[in-house]
Amino acid sequence: MRRYFLIRIYSENLTALSGEQFIDALLSSVRKYFGEIGVSTIAPKLLRFDPHRSEAIVACQKSREKELQAAVALIREIAGSSTAALTVRISGTIKSLVT
Amino acid sequence: MHKPVDLHIIPRVEDEKSCIKTAQMLKSAGYRAVALTLPTGLLKEHVRSLRNRFADSGIEMFARIDISCANRQELLRLLRRFRNVYDVVAVKCVNHALGLVAARDRRVDIIFFDPLKRNVWFDHSIANVSRAALELNLSTLFSESILLTKPMKEIDIATQHMVRVVLSSGCTSPMMIRTPEQLSAIGMILGLNERQARDGVSAIPWSIVEQNVERRSKEYVEEGVRVVKKRAS
Repeated sequence: MRRYFLIRIYSENLTALSGEQFIDALLSSVRKYFGEIGVSTIAPKLLRFDPHRSEAIVACQKSREKELQAAVALIREIAGSSTAALTVRISGTIKSLVT
Repeated sequence: MHKPVDLHIIPRVEDEKSCIKTAQMLKSAGYRAVALTLPTGLLKEHVRSLRNRFADSGIEMFARIDISCANRQELLRLLRRFRNVYDVVAVKCVNHALGLVAARDRRVDIIFFDPLKRNVWFDHSIANVSRAALELNLSTLFSESILLTKPMKEIDIATQHMVRVVLSSGCTSPMMIRTPEQLSAIGMILGLNERQARDGVSAIPWSIVEQNVERRSKEYVEEGVRVVKKRAS
């Protein structure tokens, strides 16, 4: 079972944020606070990224949603630019996230 | 659920753009009220205009002071001077003796510790006498050299002694603001249960603010006593 997160990213200087940059930052945050085992048990996966709206949909293991939410909150910067990643919604299906 | 409140925002009060952006970010993060740490010399008009600016974004603003001093006499002097001026009084405990005095004093709403200072922490002796709530600032967790064991231990001691825990962002820039759900998720990671974590961003800060607003009202006489009706002269 998976949980899906809709995440909105605000950045001070970064104009064009890519999905790779975001998932790299997310994985390093998960790794920093929960370790390698955390990465494998939380299993964060970027499903969609909208560069125009700076929104991402990320999936994780259902029982580990608090850990992922904390890791998203603890992202401080992406590509050297100070960043705020805010969780907009969490859901059990992608359909209910986007509607 | 109570309104989400962030009790610790440190704005650049002279930078109007930054204040507006902070208010907008707080609104989009879902907050309804905020306590801003304001410098002691700030003019009343400036505070009023800040309050209006936040009110325009739908955020209720309260004034907060962070007291940081080295000894008891200084702390008591500052509390006498500023308790009635600010809505929220917080003390940064720089040493253990000061932590004990601040935790015991009923004029102090919140105490917080610097997690990078390894010789001062929220221990059982402080927790045992504490009337104030313990605050955990998210901004301190951003630091590279932070170990999570210290805030985890402090939360463990606070829950053992039933000390209220407030979760705040402690942010100095709009990019450090996080949603109340994210703050409570961090609280849960650090050892709070779901209810305590949820109350840490809503019910507890709201009760602190409400209590102080009531204390500062004209009708308030003392705890449990308030003016209901004035005698006609």
